[in-house]
Amino acid sequence: MHSLVQPDAWVALKLPNGTLRVLQVTPNTTVSLGKYGSFPSNLIIHRPYHLTYELQDKREGENFSRLRIVPASELYADILTSSASSSAPGSPTLAPEDDDADAELPTGVEYSLVDATSGAVVAKTDRAAVLDEASALRQTLSVEEIEALKQDGTNAGKDLIAKLMLSHTALDQKTEYSLAKYKLLKTKKYIRRFCVTPLDVPMFDHWLLEEKDPIKILDMREEMIALLGCWANVHYGGVDRCENATDEEPQAESTALDHSAGRWLVVDDTGGLLVAAMAERLGVLYPPEKEETLETYLESQKPPQQKEAASGPKSSKDEPDAEAPEEATEDASMQEEAKVEAQIDETKETDVKAESAQDPGSHGINPKKYPTGGPRHRSNDLAVPYAQSNTLTLLHHNSQANLSFLRYYDFDNTNPAQPLTHPLATNLMTLTWLQLLDPTADTAYMAEPPAVTPEELRGWKTNRRGNYHRKRRRWARVRHVVDTTRAGGFSGLVVASTMDPISVMKHAVPLLAGGAPIAIYSQSVEALTALVDCYSIARRTAWISNPPEGAAGKTPEELETWEGNDEFPLNPTLVLGAALQTSRVRKWQVLPGRTHPLMTSKGGAEGYIFTAWRVKPAEGKIEARGKGRHSKRRKVGE
Amino acid sequence: MTKPSPFLNPGQTTKAGSLAIVHLSRDNLVPAILDDTVGEVNGYAEGTVINTRFGSFPHSTLIGQPWGSQIRASVVDTGSRGRKRKVRDDTDEPSNDTEEAASAKKPATAASGFVHVLPPTPEIWTMSLPHRTQVVYTPDYSYILHRIRARPGMRIIEAGAGSGSFTHASVRAVYNGYPTAAEDRKGKVYSFEFNEARFQAMEREVKAHDLSDLVQITHRDVYNDGFLVNGESPEADCVFLDLPAPWKALPHLSRHRPATEAVNGQDQPWVSPLRSDRAVHLCTFSPCIEQVTRTVDAMRRLGWMEIEMVEVAHKRIGVLRERVGLNMPGDRGSNQSPYDVAEAVNRLREVEGRFKEFHGRNQKAAKSANDDDVDMNDSVEASAAETNGAGREAAAEPPSDNAPSVPSFMMGRLVHRTEPEIKTHTSYLVFAVLPQEWTEEQEAAAFEKWPCGKESKVIGSLDKETRKKEKRELLKGKKKRKSEK
Repeated sequence: MHSLVQPDAWVALKLPNGTLRVLQVTPNTTVSLGKYGSFPSNLIIHRPYHLTYELQDKREGENFSRLRIVPASELYADILTSSASSSAPGSPTLAPEDDDADAELPTGVEYSLVDATSGAVVAKTDRAAVLDEASALRQTLSVEEIEALKQDGTNAGKDLIAKLMLSHTALDQKTEYSLAKYKLLKTKKYIRRFCVTPLDVPMFDHWLLEEKDPIKILDMREEMIALLGCWANVHYGGVDRCENATDEEPQAESTALDHSAGRWLVVDDTGGLLVAAMAERLGVLYPPEKEETLETYLESQKPPQQKEAASGPKSSKDEPDAEAPEEATEDASMQEEAKVEAQIDETKETDVKAESAQDPGSHGINPKKYPTGGPRHRSNDLAVPYAQSNTLTLLHHNSQANLSFLRYYDFDNTNPAQPLTHPLATNLMTLTWLQLLDPTADTAYMAEPPAVTPEELRGWKTNRRGNYHRKRRRWARVRHVVDTTRAGGFSGLVVASTMDPISVMKHAVPLLAGGAPIAIYSQSVEALTALVDCYSIARRTAWISNPPEGAAGKTPEELETWEGNDEFPLNPTLVLGAALQTSRVRKWQVLPGRTHPLMTSKGGAEGYIFTAWRVKPAEGKIEARGKGRHSKRRKVGE
Repeated sequence: MTKPSPFLNPGQTTKAGSLAIVHLSRDNLVPAILDDTVGEVNGYAEGTVINTRFGSFPHSTLIGQPWGSQIRASVVDTGSRGRKRKVRDDTDEPSNDTEEAASAKKPATAASGFVHVLPPTPEIWTMSLPHRTQVVYTPDYSYILHRIRARPGMRIIEAGAGSGSFTHASVRAVYNGYPTAAEDRKGKVYSFEFNEARFQAMEREVKAHDLSDLVQITHRDVYNDGFLVNGESPEADCVFLDLPAPWKALPHLSRHRPATEAVNGQDQPWVSPLRSDRAVHLCTFSPCIEQVTRTVDAMRRLGWMEIEMVEVAHKRIGVLRERVGLNMPGDRGSNQSPYDVAEAVNRLREVEGRFKEFHGRNQKAAKSANDDDVDMNDSVEASAAETNGAGREAAAEPPSDNAPSVPSFMMGRLVHRTEPEIKTHTSYLVFAVLPQEWTEEQEAAAFEKWPCGKESKVIGSLDKETRKKEKRELLKGKKKRKSEK
C-alpha cells in the first residue's frame, strides 16, 4: 500500500458526521464535500494518508480553499481537558462516575456547573430539565441567522459553533456531559474537517457494509475476511514478484510446476471483495506507484492516438462516480453475453491500435488507460504472462468472472489489454466451472487457432494479423489456466459463495494438495451444517467399515473423484477436522467516564466459517483404535 | 540459502528435522520435530516414537510422507523399555548404542490405530503450542493483523512474545521472502519479551521453526528501554502490544523524543522505532477496562488518531443429529421419546388399548356370569381394540423395517449448537493510527508539484442542480455523436 495519495487512486474521506465519501482523486478537479465545502483534489495528491484537514477560508486572489492539517492536540483538546478535570489528580485512571461520584469530588472548572456537595441531586434536576425542555427553544439564533453564518463560513465553522454555544440560553443548566454532547453534536454538524484514509481492503469492506450494499458482499464482515484468510493459510507464497518487493529481479523460469508453491483456489460471489482480500494477503493487490508531478501526469494522459482514445469504451469509464461499480456488477451478471461481444470488439480495436502504432516507445508509457500488450507479449503469442506461484485461481459460474470491485484497485479483468504492470494481471487466473469439469465443451479451450507461417502473416492486412495474434494469445492463456488448474496441487481453498458448498467441495477438494487448508464462508449456517454432516464421524466410520456400492475395492486415488450418492455425497475420508465457527466484533466508546459498548450496530447475516484440511487416506482397510465405543459395538454386531 | 520454514513453505512431503503436526483428534494435536535418528532412542529400538492413545508412531514412519497422509500405527515395544533404561542408567552408558544402531528395527504395522500428519500453520500451532502465558487465539490475532494492516513486506513490533502464537501468525502475514543480503529489506517481526525463561523458550522455538531470519527476538523491558534493536530502529509499520501496562511503552513509540523521557544530558539523537514515511498502525491487547482507559488516554496525548476499542466474541459450533423418536435405535445420543404429537397419541392409544385389553379380560371373567349382552359388547370392543392395535403395529412396523435402509448417520434432524464452553472474554483490542509527519517544507514541495487553480470538474457530492446539468450535457453529447454518425 502506498504511503501517499496517488493520482487517480480511490480514497475514503471521513467526514465529521461519521460518513465516508469514497471517490477517485482525479488531478485537477474540485472535490465537493457537500455542506462541509469543497477543495481542489491536487491538495491531497502526494500527501500522506490519515491526516485530518480543515478547510481554510479562501485567500484573496485565490478561487479555492487551502487545507490546514489539524494537529492531534487540537482534535483531542475537549476530551483531554474533560478527563483532566473529571479524574482525581494524580491518577489518570478514570473513576466510575455514576454511583460513587460524590466520593471523588471533581475539582475541574466544568463541574462547577454542578453543585459539588449535593452532586447527585443537582444532576437529577438537571436531567429532568433537559428532558422536559428538550424541544423548547433554547437556541436564540434563528435558522436564518445560522444559514447566514454558514454562508460566511469563517474559520472552518469554529466561529459558528462558538456562536451557537454562546447563544444557547440554558448552557449553564447542562451537566458536563450534556454540554460535551451538545458541543460534539454541533461540531459534527458544522466543522469543516475531513480525514483522508486509503481505500484498502478493511476500509473498503467497512464502507460496503455500512454505507453501500452489504447483500452484494454476502454480509461479509472484516472479522470473517480475516478468519477466512488465516484458516486458508493464505500468505505470500513463492519467489515471484510482490508489490513491495523491489521488482526487476530476473526470474528463473521454473519449467516444472512446483506443487508446493503458493497457489490458492478461490470461489468468490462477492464481486471481487474476497479476491481483493486474498490478493492483499499475497501482496499482489496494489498497483505500482505512479507519476510524481502534475506535469508528468498530464504528459502521460496524452493518448498515443488522440482520436480513438477519446471514443474508446474505456475512456467513458475514466471518471466513474461512486455508483458505477453497482452498475458494473449488474452488467457482469445480467448482460454477460453482450459484454463478451463488446469485449471482443474492444479487443479488436485495441489490437488494431497497437498494430498501427509502430513506435515501440509509445508502449507502456501510460499503464492506466492506453495499454498495449507490451513487448514480452508480442514476441511470442504462446508465452503466457502468468506467474508460477503466489497466485490466485478463481472459479466462476458465469462465462465472465464478476470482479467489478477490483476496479477500485485499478484492475479490470474484463479488459483484455490490462497492462501487466498490475500484479494481479499476472497473479490472478480465472476459469469457469465448465472449463474445469469439461474443458472439451468449451470453445475457448478447444479451438486452437491454426499456426500461420510468418511469411503468410506478413501478407495479411494489419487488421487480420492483429486478430490472429489476439486469438492465439487468448487460446494460450486459457489453455494454460485450465491445464494448470486441472493438474491440482493447490495450497488452499477459500470460498465465499452462494452455491451449495457440498457441490463446490466435490470438485475442489481433489484439486488440493495434501494437508491443504479449506475455509468456506456462508451467510447462514444451514448450508454449512449440511457440509459438516457429510464428514461426521459416524458417516466416515460407515464409509470405512462398510463402503458403499461402487466404492469397494477401489484405491484411494480412484476414490478422490467419488461422484457421490445419497448416503455419501462426498468422500468423507478426504477431509479432516471439519469444524464450524462464527465471530463478531463489538465496538466500544471510550471516553473519560463514559466507556461502554456502542448502543447500536449493524445486524444482518451472522456469517459462519467452515474449516478443514485436505488429507490423503491410507490404502486398504483401516481400523480405528482408542476407547471409542464404535469399534466395540461394531465387533458385537458382526 | 536458508531452509524455508515449514510454516511458510512446507514442501510436498514431511522432512526430517522439520516440524510436523500429528493430528490425533479435533482438539488433540501433537507438534513434533521429525527425527530420523537410526537406532535406539530413549529405549525404543525404532528410534524416536510418538506414543498416543491411538497407538505408537515411530518418526521413521512419518518422514517422507506427503502432507496430510494417514499413517498407521506400528507395533512398538513400550513395556520393557523402562526396565532396560534403568539398567543402562546404572551402568552409565550413552543411550544411543552403536551396536544396536547398526540393526535399526523396521517397525511393523499394527492392526489398528492411525493418525494424520499435517503441515504446521499458525492456526494449528496455536491449538497445539506449549502454553507459557495466555495465548492470543486465532479469532483475535486474525482480526488484529487485518486491522493493523500487516501485509507482505511490513515490519511489525510485537511486545510480549508470550507463547508465540501471535509471533507465528504475524510472521506469516509479513513474510515476502527471506532476505538474501544484509541490506535486503524484507518483512520481519521484531519481538520483545521481558521474562527470561519465556525469551529463551521463544528463541529455541524460532530457531527450530527456521524463522531466525524473519523473527528478531530480544530480551527487553520495553517500558524502560524502548524498542530499538542494537541501537537501530526496526522501522516498524505496525505495532502489537500485549503488555500489562501499554501506556508505559507508548511514549517510546513516538516520532520524536517524548516529553516524559528525561534528556539526561545525553547527546545522541533520539531514534524513533517507527517507520518515518508511513502511517503506523497499532493495537494493544488488554483484558481489563481500566487498562484500556489509561491506554486510550495516553494515546490521545501522544497524537494517535482513529482510536477505536473493540472486543471479539467468537464461538465454535458443533453440528449433530438430533434423533428423537420412538423408533430410533437405542444408541447413545438418540432420544426415545415421541417425535411429534401424533406419535405420542399413537403411543398413548396403544397403551390404553393394552390396558383395556388387560382390564377387559378380568372384567369378562367377573361379568360373564351376570350379563351376556354386556359381554357381547365388551368382546366386540376388545376385538376392535385388538385389530386396531394390530393395525397400528403394522403401521409402525414399516419404518422399523426400513430402518436399515436409512443409515443411523442420516436419521434425525441436523442441528447445530454452540460448543459447551465458550471464551466469553479474551481481551479488549484498542486500535490506533499514528500518521506520517508532514512538514511545511514537504507540503510546499508537494504544492509545487501539484499546483491548484485549474480545476475543471467537480467530483464528490454535488447539489441537485449541478447533477441535473451534468446529466443533460451527457445526454446531449450522446445525441450529437449519434447524429454525426
